[in-house]
Amino acid sequence: MRTRVQGDSRRLTLPGMLFFFLGFLLLGLQTPDYRAFMLAVLVPLAFYLVTAALLRLLSADRVLLCLVNFLCALGILALYRLNPARGLGQTFNYAVGLLGMVGCMLLVRFWQRFRWTLPLIALAALVLMALPLMFGTVKNGAKAWVSLLGVSFQPSEIVKVAMVLVMAFLLSRRMVLLALAFAGVCLGLLFLQRDLGTALLYYAISLVLVYVSTGSLTFLALGTLGAGAGAVLGYQMNTYVQNRVSIWQNPWQDPYGIAWQVVQSLVAMVNAGPWGTGLGLGNARTIPEVETDFIFAAVFHEFGLVFGILVILIYLLIFLRGVGVARRARTRFHTLLALGCSCFIALQTFVIIGGNINLIPLTGVTLPFMSYGGTSLVSSLCIMGLLQGVANANEHGLEEDQLMALMGEEDG
Amino acid sequence: MKLIKGKLRLVALALSLMLVTLIVYGAYSLGLSGNRWFSSSINTSLRKVRADVIPGRIYDRNGIQLAGSNTAGDRLYHQDELTRRGLVHALGMKDGTVKNGVEVFLSYLLYAYDASYLSRLTAAFTGQMRQGYDLRLSLSSGLSRLVAEQFPAGKAGAVVVMNYRTGELLTLASFPNFDPLRAQGVLGDPQKPYINNATQWRSAPGSTFKVITMAAALQHIPDVRSRTFTCEGELPVGDIVITDALNARHGQISLERALSISCNITFAQLALELTDEQLRQTARAFGLDDHVLFSDLVVEDSSYPTSNRVPKELAWTGPGQSALHITPLQMCMAAAAIANDGVMMEPKLLLQAVDSRKVGKSQMVPTVYRTPLNRSEAKIIAQAMRQAVAGGTATRARVAGLQVAGKTGSAQVDRQELTNAWFIGFLDEPTLPYALCVVVMDAGEGSRHAAPLAGKIFQYIKDNQ
Repeated sequence: MRTRVQGDSRRLTLPGMLFFFLGFLLLGLQTPDYRAFMLAVLVPLAFYLVTAALLRLLSADRVLLCLVNFLCALGILALYRLNPARGLGQTFNYAVGLLGMVGCMLLVRFWQRFRWTLPLIALAALVLMALPLMFGTVKNGAKAWVSLLGVSFQPSEIVKVAMVLVMAFLLSRRMVLLALAFAGVCLGLLFLQRDLGTALLYYAISLVLVYVSTGSLTFLALGTLGAGAGAVLGYQMNTYVQNRVSIWQNPWQDPYGIAWQVVQSLVAMVNAGPWGTGLGLGNARTIPEVETDFIFAAVFHEFGLVFGILVILIYLLIFLRGVGVARRARTRFHTLLALGCSCFIALQTFVIIGGNINLIPLTGVTLPFMSYGGTSLVSSLCIMGLLQGVANANEHGLEEDQLMALMGEEDG
Repeated sequence: MKLIKGKLRLVALALSLMLVTLIVYGAYSLGLSGNRWFSSSINTSLRKVRADVIPGRIYDRNGIQLAGSNTAGDRLYHQDELTRRGLVHALGMKDGTVKNGVEVFLSYLLYAYDASYLSRLTAAFTGQMRQGYDLRLSLSSGLSRLVAEQFPAGKAGAVVVMNYRTGELLTLASFPNFDPLRAQGVLGDPQKPYINNATQWRSAPGSTFKVITMAAALQHIPDVRSRTFTCEGELPVGDIVITDALNARHGQISLERALSISCNITFAQLALELTDEQLRQTARAFGLDDHVLFSDLVVEDSSYPTSNRVPKELAWTGPGQSALHITPLQMCMAAAAIANDGVMMEPKLLLQAVDSRKVGKSQMVPTVYRTPLNRSEAKIIAQAMRQAVAGGTATRARVAGLQVAGKTGSAQVDRQELTNAWFIGFLDEPTLPYALCVVVMDAGEGSRHAAPLAGKIFQYIKDNQ
């Protein structure tokens, strides 16, 4: 079983390395650019090292790791194409994200030893979440950014990681009310910041986790109703939301005005055709915020419809692989944690790509692993780290399971 | 634990479905509207495409070349100025001076947007420009020239002529027009000659709308044909009084007679009796309030008034004088539906597109847009419209030897000094299935200022069949 999986991932690694080598080579040749040539060597190398070498030290789900790395590297390639400075910046974010990922893996792996930090994590999460309200700056209608010691970041992205961890832990101990209270405070703070896209994600994840852990359909129904009520309330109270909804209903009623962004995204995709304009030959930069909110449209534009579909399928595979980890998990905590992480990635992907293709109103969340943004990439990789930690525990944690059973930990 | 794992499957299924929806919806919307988005004037990539592709040639229905390109990449047009002027709005200009038009809206064909990857690759390596597809349009350059020549000098307006059996447009002309070879400064012209009034201008169509009110009456009032209407010359509704042109009193008349002599009082009474709901229902069946998405041309949506809960507004809607916003093209389609036994065809401009090796890339397929009324209702209205030409308000559209049906309109809009003159009509001839709409703005009565041009168009069609 294990050798087969390893073989699969090797087959995934080599074409990935070739893909990025050729991609950066092409960018380098278009405008003779030594940095691109450097990346043509470094990115495939990093891709190999992370997928192959890292796993010699710490066992994890190879396919999952390989797919996630592919998306991260694809993001760097697309960003470098759009804006070399941001592409280079993203390699740094990626490196930090990898450290975070390993950290989170170890945290889950040795949870018995770190369990005492949970109240601290929860407290830190709430404090972080309250920061933007005190020192935040407004960006795209939301007051979600904080500048601290010269570094600007979005706390709600980092809190995601803590949130999944805290919710999974509390719910595994059947402390449903406490979990709801924690989620409620987070949501309240997000609403006050008007970061509604992220609030939507938090809400959906809380709903899924509480439903799965309690099995209560009543709660699911109530929660869905509550979401509807929240949506109506948000719509009534916020002209920003009303704008987004009216753009969604018919972007072509004001293509040069408020709908410019979405319309440019649609036009970029239609210009792509099945095989794209070719790397470096498109003009996706006409889309405002292309590096963060519309990175999918930019990749679609230059790589084409077929590739765009494949990218969505990669996210689907990551999700299903994550659910597989949750199914194999042996404790309630691990199951809920793995599920929460997988759902976070999948839902966020749905929300932002759905906005790009105008399936749903646009919200300013990022595309996991690919969008430009340090906080976003690091938090997505940390969430992957939690998931990989569970995968690791699935393989190695038998003895600890028995220990836990002795200590009275809930086990199914 | 078992409980949890059972739920996992459900959550996995739900989220997987959501992700798959992204693919399905994305592919669906690109397939449905892709050409439209590609050809929209907002597509900045078109400029890039234009540098790599020589746009295809454009021919009229008889194979006369209307547009081509020289080696320098400039667009060439027909040598006759009146022909160029008569076609400029239908064809548009590739720089978007006229929004939409064939040069823009069908650019996905003119620039071979769907060309195979292989041909793109070959072109990229050989450095040769690719060749776009040649188009044969349904337009008649001769008729368009006649319209440009005969349209009242100095007036604004529009003329639409279409084949009511197939939907092919012979003329889609707007006034004032301009010569595409001398287009500098056109965008700054206060007369706005760059706007296509046939498809982008909407207004109350005056009494031509009575054919739609009549259709509603036939559909919703069972005994309406056996009734006699009384026209006293005045009909008070609320605080206003509905009157007829020249304060005429028509006395005791039938429904058909009311249409042929264009009695406002009768149609106001009908609107009030029909109620807003029923009149709206029929108007919508004729395409009002629809979000129009035709394959070959961009048309502003026509709309039925939203304020018609007030009786006086409703009463004026019957004779076509309220907040109706209808394009000349839409009124032409209404006449065409009546002529075509109640079946409204989608207007078409593109007969055929072929690539440089004469391989067909697109072929016109007549498409039914709507069926707003049934055959017998259509026959009754057509009969009344024939009477209008034979001995009613539309006698100036008469052509010897042809069965002409028509309806005039004189629409009072805003504080204009003179009314907008409207005429819709068609030839009730099996071999000449043509319908038209003529609008001359700020000119006076439709019977005097729009109907004669319709007569000349019908005469031309007869002479050149």
